[in-house]
Amino acid sequence: MSLLVDNISKRFGSKDALRGVTLETRDGEFVVLLGPSGCGKSTLLRIIAGLEEPDQGVVTLHGRDITRLDPSRRDVAMVFQGYALYPHMTVAQNIGYPLRVRRRPSSEISSEVEKIAGRLGLGHLLRNEPKQLSGGERQRVALARAIIRRPRAFLMDEPLSNLDSRLRIDMRAELKHLQHELAVVTLYVTHDQVEAMTLASRIAILKDGILQQYASPNEIYHRPANLFVAGFVGSPAMNLLPGTVESGVFRRAGLSIESPPPGGRDLTLGIRPEDVDFSLTEQPGWTPARVWVTEDLGNETLIRLSIEGAFVTLRAPAGTRAEIDSLAWFRIRPDRVHWFDSQTTEAIR
Amino acid sequence: MKIILKYAAALLAMAFALAPIYWLITISLKTEIDQFASPPLWFHFTPTLRHYEGIFAHDAFGHYFLNSLIVSICSTLIALALGLPAAYGLARFRWPRDWANGISFWILSNRMLPPIVTIIPMFLMLRELRLLNSLAGLILVDVGLNLPFVVWMMRGFVEDLPREIEEAAMLDGESRLGVLLRIVLPLVRPGLAATAVFCLIVAWNEFLFALILSQTESAMTLPVGIAAHVTQYEIQWGAMSAAGVVAILPVLIFASAAQRYFVRGLSLGAIK
Repeated sequence: MSLLVDNISKRFGSKDALRGVTLETRDGEFVVLLGPSGCGKSTLLRIIAGLEEPDQGVVTLHGRDITRLDPSRRDVAMVFQGYALYPHMTVAQNIGYPLRVRRRPSSEISSEVEKIAGRLGLGHLLRNEPKQLSGGERQRVALARAIIRRPRAFLMDEPLSNLDSRLRIDMRAELKHLQHELAVVTLYVTHDQVEAMTLASRIAILKDGILQQYASPNEIYHRPANLFVAGFVGSPAMNLLPGTVESGVFRRAGLSIESPPPGGRDLTLGIRPEDVDFSLTEQPGWTPARVWVTEDLGNETLIRLSIEGAFVTLRAPAGTRAEIDSLAWFRIRPDRVHWFDSQTTEAIR
Repeated sequence: MKIILKYAAALLAMAFALAPIYWLITISLKTEIDQFASPPLWFHFTPTLRHYEGIFAHDAFGHYFLNSLIVSICSTLIALALGLPAAYGLARFRWPRDWANGISFWILSNRMLPPIVTIIPMFLMLRELRLLNSLAGLILVDVGLNLPFVVWMMRGFVEDLPREIEEAAMLDGESRLGVLLRIVLPLVRPGLAATAVFCLIVAWNEFLFALILSQTESAMTLPVGIAAHVTQYEIQWGAMSAAGVVAILPVLIFASAAQRYFVRGLSLGAIK
């Protein structure tokens, strides 16, 4: 266990930013904190960095309690959303700064800087000033500055969100490879679920300061713990259809499913768009619906059907044609259904 | 046509602003008789450097000049050294409720009082401290005069810096003081320079306190020294003007040296 966050709570004025969040991480793990804006993920990162103090709870790093420690003495490095490069220093000075603060000899600093800069493809930019760099280069400088002193943990606060979408995908892959090489526990904050799914060994999903689920991307996607996680992860989102169970059959307007799980009467059915079959012709046992819109993405087609005031989105093969407002049929694959208790929002397994 | 009007207006404003200075310079170069000619001699007079020779021959003038230089430079440096950390603290530390604004306003309110109101208490305090008729006393007073301005200006500049940069430095292992000295200080330098020039000018021109608090020649500053040319029996216009011209020069030098920073510093956003 390298980084442990135990029962952290934090209030800002009358608003709870974090409520009893507990996370443990393994050595070298890449943990992504995912959630909508205002969910407390950045606050948690700042508490680990020492930039905020928690009202309650403990942060330990490799067994050492660092909860009240000054940020400068925690041995964690952080990459900020705006990169936070020092504008009055050259690239080389920026990268070497953490070593300079530690009063390392300048010969050692410059050789380390060159080594790291070479590794991140910044070798030719060392004499430049940050304002002369592109977004991607700035991002690399910020990364170089974070890794040069080999910290015990990396904290990254939406580091890719200021890059354009192509560069973001490149940097994402680079970041993942780099983290694997360095094998230092990394906490990464994002609101982008694709980033979370691709980077994380485990994802912690937060909402309103409460940890919703902490599991591998695979588990999060295939076994969401509650309605929030189910609706938040996945694009297009999981279809969520509330209904009631009467005499062993789940019913809602325009749809009925046999053999729901035992227990509650008010259930919500969840089904991923890829787990819905689609046909333009009537099939025995399938449900009729109106085509509301189709979106051709090239490699697949997204179809949104309207049934009695609700929508069902599904993925169909590329080139599937369907006229808006025409009649179509769909089938929910029974073995892929997720059930949730509508009252508690928890998954029923 | 529009451009012509624009330039005409600018020229008029410039003439209005520069006329007294022109008058000062010409008087300093005129003989006594020319000074009082009627109608006034605007351009046609025989210039003389007599008055300049006079003031430089008079020992005390150099002495006043030096005093003024010492008082304004020292008071400016001290005001900046005290004001910047104060401004940083007000801009960055977490204060209970609205204390940061409350304290800032209280600091500013010290400038709202007409200085003459404080002159008697100031005199009594300096007498107790045995700092009357000393440069140290004047420096102290000028620091007090400039400090509110420094705090207000610098608070604005610090607040304009992205907080992330300072947080990054702290995570890189820097202490608060290190952040202030090695990150904040270089980044607010344009603002600091603009503020410094303003402080220098205020201290250089300060007359009231210098007049009351320094009555011996050894501690007199230039404005007081210049005013001393108004004597019981005559007003030495020539000498007074020549001294005035010389007194303007350092201000011009301060301002032009820092002009680059001045525009950038006063036009918000020091490093955006």
